Amino acid sequence: MKTTSLLLLLALFMSACSEKLVRVMPYEKEYFAEDKMSLSPIAERAEQEGHIFLIREASAGGESSFQGGCGCR
Amino acid sequence: MKKLLSIVLLSVALFAAPRVGDNAVKFELPDLYAQNISFKSASLKGKVVLLNMWASWCGGCQEEMPLFVELQKEFSKSKFEIVLANIDNEAKNGVDFLSKVDKKRSLTALYDADKILPKAYRCPGMPSSFLIDQNGKVVGVYIGSLDTEAILDLKKTIKKLLGK
Repeated sequence: MKTTSLLLLLALFMSACSEKLVRVMPYEKEYFAEDKMSLSPIAERAEQEGHIFLIREASAGGESSFQGGCGCR
Repeated sequence: MKKLLSIVLLSVALFAAPRVGDNAVKFELPDLYAQNISFKSASLKGKVVLLNMWASWCGGCQEEMPLFVELQKEFSKSKFEIVLANIDNEAKNGVDFLSKVDKKRSLTALYDADKILPKAYRCPGMPSSFLIDQNGKVVGVYIGSLDTEAILDLKKTIKKLLGK
């Protein structure tokens, strides 16, 4: 009984040190649903942006393994 | 040890969401279109109710809404009512969307600014719907958007509850 109580107290003490994580409930995600929160807000431009990303990053070992960074694809 | 176990179980029970067989949550909310008009859940006594929690920013909610309009139309002469609880931060967004889909305002639309219902039901997803029988008991829990097939199953359950 003593050991259980000690363990419980220890668990409580340790939980105070843990990071306080806030769980966003599904009904609280209105701001996440906004267009500006999207990773690619303009779908039409996503492909072009992807291409530019490859050109820019390829020489540094970016997303593509077959591009040299010249942008001539 | 027994005491500890009972405390843990009691705390779990306190935070548990209403499930099938539990009593539905009682509420009083304003109407979505006219917020000076209040709606009490007590007025639903004796009716089969589909309580739906939705928002205009939720894609699944938008998809199922036309199906709800059709469903309410089909059961318009029965003691069946679809009650929508909108949880948008701004009621205008909910009104704008709903007035396009439900032009005749056949669905009971309420505004839940403080998200009282989703909190009480601890909705694990959006949209969430709860089928409540004439005695105020939860008889069905539907998490996520209801498609045509799910609506067909729902119709069967509603007819069964209405004794048709």
